[in-house]
Amino acid sequence: MYQILSWTIRYIFIVLIYYFIYSIIRLIYLDIQAINNKGKRNDNPYLKLVNRKDRLDFHVQEFYDLNDSTTLGRGKGNDIQIDDKYISSKHLKITLDEGEYFLEDLGSVNGTYLNSTVIEDVVKLRNGDRIGLGQIEFLFVKEVD
Amino acid sequence: MKLGRLFVKRPINIIITVNLLLFSLLYLFHGVADYSVPLAGGLLTLIMVICYYIILKLSMGDQYIFLIISLLSSIGIAMLYRLNPEYGFRQITWYGLGMVFYFLSYGIFLWIKGWDRYLYLYIIAGIGLFLFTFFFGTTIKGATNWIRIGQSTLQPAEAIKILYIFFIAAYFKYPEKLKKPYVFLGIIYIHILFLVLQRDMGMAMLFFGVFISIFYAYNTEVRLFLINILASIMIGFLSYFAMGHIQVRIETWLNPWRDIAGKGYQITQSLFAIASGGFFGTGLGLGRPDYIPEVHTDFIFSAICEEFGIFGGIAVILLYFILVYRCFKITLNIKETFKKIVALGITLTYAYQTFIIIGGVIKLIPLTGITLPFISYGGSSLVSAFIAFGIMQALSRISIDGEGLDVIE
Repeated sequence: MYQILSWTIRYIFIVLIYYFIYSIIRLIYLDIQAINNKGKRNDNPYLKLVNRKDRLDFHVQEFYDLNDSTTLGRGKGNDIQIDDKYISSKHLKITLDEGEYFLEDLGSVNGTYLNSTVIEDVVKLRNGDRIGLGQIEFLFVKEVD
Repeated sequence: MKLGRLFVKRPINIIITVNLLLFSLLYLFHGVADYSVPLAGGLLTLIMVICYYIILKLSMGDQYIFLIISLLSSIGIAMLYRLNPEYGFRQITWYGLGMVFYFLSYGIFLWIKGWDRYLYLYIIAGIGLFLFTFFFGTTIKGATNWIRIGQSTLQPAEAIKILYIFFIAAYFKYPEKLKKPYVFLGIIYIHILFLVLQRDMGMAMLFFGVFISIFYAYNTEVRLFLINILASIMIGFLSYFAMGHIQVRIETWLNPWRDIAGKGYQITQSLFAIASGGFFGTGLGLGRPDYIPEVHTDFIFSAICEEFGIFGGIAVILLYFILVYRCFKITLNIKETFKKIVALGITLTYAYQTFIIIGGVIKLIPLTGITLPFISYGGSSLVSAFIAFGIMQALSRISIDGEGLDVIE
């Protein structure tokens, strides 16, 4: 009886320990990806994640570069796609106009927050603003020289 | 699917499951009447979970280091319980003490500023401890590196290991303090000489390995580095001819089968144990690792290989790999020289230590007695490993702060 139990448990044990290694390596992999993204970044303004990434159960990068017009949402057609169930398929849009960046909610269900207040209209973004959506929060960084 | 997701998210759950499985199996193995085993297992798991949440809640930097060393210690303690419940129980006590020291060394390292200024203190303390061991030490199993205090014995070399890293780091921060590099080299070789005199070859190799790697990274003179390499080869040859026990070690490494009942007994038993395990092992409690002398300290890796198979053994090696990887990553993020070298030193010490002993028991390199970090039985080595990784935890926090990440809980 003990033998059978011991034989079964050794397989479970080995599977579990490799699973542990896998889950740690997966987190390390996400880390490396973040480093690579950090290295590639140019002078463009970018969004920086302020949450602890390992607490989230979906994939999200540490940094996102912003172009002239950047859309964010859960759907496939977006420039930034984040698979958070509290993010709408077309959630928000950040556009560049005459050197300034503007944030606009695209009619999302759970809303977009700028510095903890829900935005109603198009708002101008300043360096250091916090954009909250779904379970995550981004920092808007625009380096001024 | 939901359960699976929760699992990926929280590796601590895997540790809890592993502990649960191993200790309930051990409970059956040692007889149902004995409740001490499941109690000990529960206590161990509780300590791990509490400490993990303390690290998370106080955002004490990197959380993976603690997870990996917890899993390694769990495997070690379960294996010791299987070999001898008394060892297992004592190891849990040491583990608890080690955790206290983990948080203490974390706090003290961050609290005291200017660790890089006490160069002379590290030298004096290190050499003082060596002299103390030399005059008052007790000889256990052929090595005079133990100090007896009351009932327990402890190994000062484990404490010197940390002082030694701090000494090297403090020197490279302000090299002008010791006037010439030869003075520095002299002090390094005094450390190694003491270890050789104590007949502690594993430690001597470890100290030299750590020194030469950091020296390679931070010394600008190539000539001096080459002289050191040549000198070490010379010392190796000389000690081979001068010291009988090194000859024995090399002989049993090259051909242990010639004297299988005598000098080669330990290593051949270790190889038999690994071989009898096969791919998946015999199962916990069904092998015969007790044939190997010193199975609970130096040869615990063979016991793991026997009962959990080569896959279990490789998993343990992989755990050390990712631990060392995390530590290297922390090291690379630190800007300040002293802290960087301390981080590098700790990383290298435990990486080399693992290599030396696992290489020894699988007959890859000559066998030298040293403990397998976090798994082997031994109070001093476990506590000093926890102190070292407590410092590493503090350094990981510094390295995150250095990146300027503001973390929101």
